[in-house]
Amino acid sequence: MNLSMRDAFLDEIYNIARKDRQVMLLSNDFGAPSLDKFRAELATQFIHSGIAEQNMVNVAAGLAMAGKTVYMYSIAPFLPLRCYEQIRVHLSFRNLKVTGVAVGAGYSYDLSGPTHQALEDIAMMNALPGMTIYNASDSVMAKAFARMTYTDPGPKYVRFDREKFPDIYRDNKDFSDGLAVLREGRDLTIIATGIMVHRAFSVADELKARSIDASVVDLFRIKPLNERLLLETAATSRRLITLEEHFINSGIGSIISGLVTESGRDIKMKHIGIPNRYYSQAGGRKELHRLCGLDVERVTSRIQEWCKDKHK
Amino acid sequence: MPGRKIAILKKKARWVRRQILEMCACVGEGRVASSLSCVEILVALFHGRILRFDPANPRWEERDRFILSKSPGAVGIYPVLSDLGFFPEKEIDNFCKPGGLLGPYGGDVTGDIPGVEAVWGSLGHGLGVGAGLALAGKLDGKKYMTVVLLGDGECYEGSIWEAAMFAGHHRLDNLVGIIDRNGICTIDFTEKCLRLDPLPSKWRSFGWDAVTIDGHSYEEIFDSLADLRNRRSKKPLMIIANTVKGKGISLLENNPMGHIIIPSGEQLKKARHELK
Repeated sequence: MNLSMRDAFLDEIYNIARKDRQVMLLSNDFGAPSLDKFRAELATQFIHSGIAEQNMVNVAAGLAMAGKTVYMYSIAPFLPLRCYEQIRVHLSFRNLKVTGVAVGAGYSYDLSGPTHQALEDIAMMNALPGMTIYNASDSVMAKAFARMTYTDPGPKYVRFDREKFPDIYRDNKDFSDGLAVLREGRDLTIIATGIMVHRAFSVADELKARSIDASVVDLFRIKPLNERLLLETAATSRRLITLEEHFINSGIGSIISGLVTESGRDIKMKHIGIPNRYYSQAGGRKELHRLCGLDVERVTSRIQEWCKDKHK
Repeated sequence: MPGRKIAILKKKARWVRRQILEMCACVGEGRVASSLSCVEILVALFHGRILRFDPANPRWEERDRFILSKSPGAVGIYPVLSDLGFFPEKEIDNFCKPGGLLGPYGGDVTGDIPGVEAVWGSLGHGLGVGAGLALAGKLDGKKYMTVVLLGDGECYEGSIWEAAMFAGHHRLDNLVGIIDRNGICTIDFTEKCLRLDPLPSKWRSFGWDAVTIDGHSYEEIFDSLADLRNRRSKKPLMIIANTVKGKGISLLENNPMGHIIIPSGEQLKKARHELK
């Protein structure tokens, strides 16, 4: 079985930190089996910040100002939401080399309820100048993100799902393009991010059975967007569906919409994501997806309906 | 501390106060009262050479790290740094002007004001960042001290107490905080709107050494910071410096609404006279 994204990332950070003692890892009382090795063997490079995210970012900033490469590890919503101003003032203003490692993208923490879910984080981090946002779809990518966040300057936000998913990519894949075309189709392009990439494959299969030929694109670097490649990719079918487990009004759909509008290209768009409302504990991710219309059947039929409309 | 040196520093403080008044009055921006209360502290740290620094090489590796966390006091440090040659005097004239380095709560977003690690417009950040710098110093075996100037109103921020806990736990004896305890936040006396006292025992309970001094007395400032590098205690040090908000200008002194006042017209004339 492949690793979870979190473990793949942390294992690689451990390898990096063993060789570079300037690498520091901070956690706000959030653990992982893969973190235990780091804590035990690289004790001076690990800091338990307490359940105190504002100070975690402030301390990270101080460490980075002193020349260290810093990782902050947290459940996703508590990293951007509890300490957004600290991230803005230190990491964004001053372009410090600090990476927020956020586990629990979207509805990952399904039964924990909306306090533990990350439905706004892409919007928040996208608003910050200089921020790089990665959203992983598999563990190969997660491992590569460890290396990329270590070598590249500036602040980054890396978003991981909590669950395990089958790997999509082969080892040593180059992720510097920011997006990958995983399947080519004539009729439309589904741009998905995070675990919704896996959903997009299933949807594309369903669409195929209904005689709609869909491309599947994995958008794993949300900021900065690879604008040229993204527009090129979208232009092939001129019908673009965005698919994400994030609030619909502020995620990759609206981000890409802005890009398409600015480009002046004739590309029709539809956004599929989470309606701008909170659901209480609702019996798990599957049920949440059903409520939001994010299950395979609903996504497929929504795309099919939309295609019909466009043919009118 | 020889009396002659103190006399020189006292004269310097009067000059800094006049500069604060003129900078703010000139553009109608800046927090005069907040800047006036920490003048002796800033002059002692810099002109009094409590801190180690090199104006010709502001990023000198061995420098002490100074963070001005109480951003409304930012105007107070500009004349000090300029006078020591960290940046040209014309930057004082360019305060709040296009292309200038200095703003009312710090400089440009990168925070690159030579002589300080940072002046942050937003309150509650400096102590945690200072703790990060101090921790890095310890991990890397560096000798620098990290000194953070805080406002008392700033101590309402929860992040200050997160940092207090962190620095106390990690025994960051290379970290010093100074609270400019002028007793007034923006619209009232602190003890009237939300009680901060007793500050020393709060800090001690978080694992810090805490001393209370008269923040306008050079003797007491130097006494409290004299052995900065040779303290026997392994705890971080917090100095609660009792000060008078608006010190030197009667219109502003201990005036609970003085935070935003910038003297003008007849007030300005009177203030200038008082600061002679």
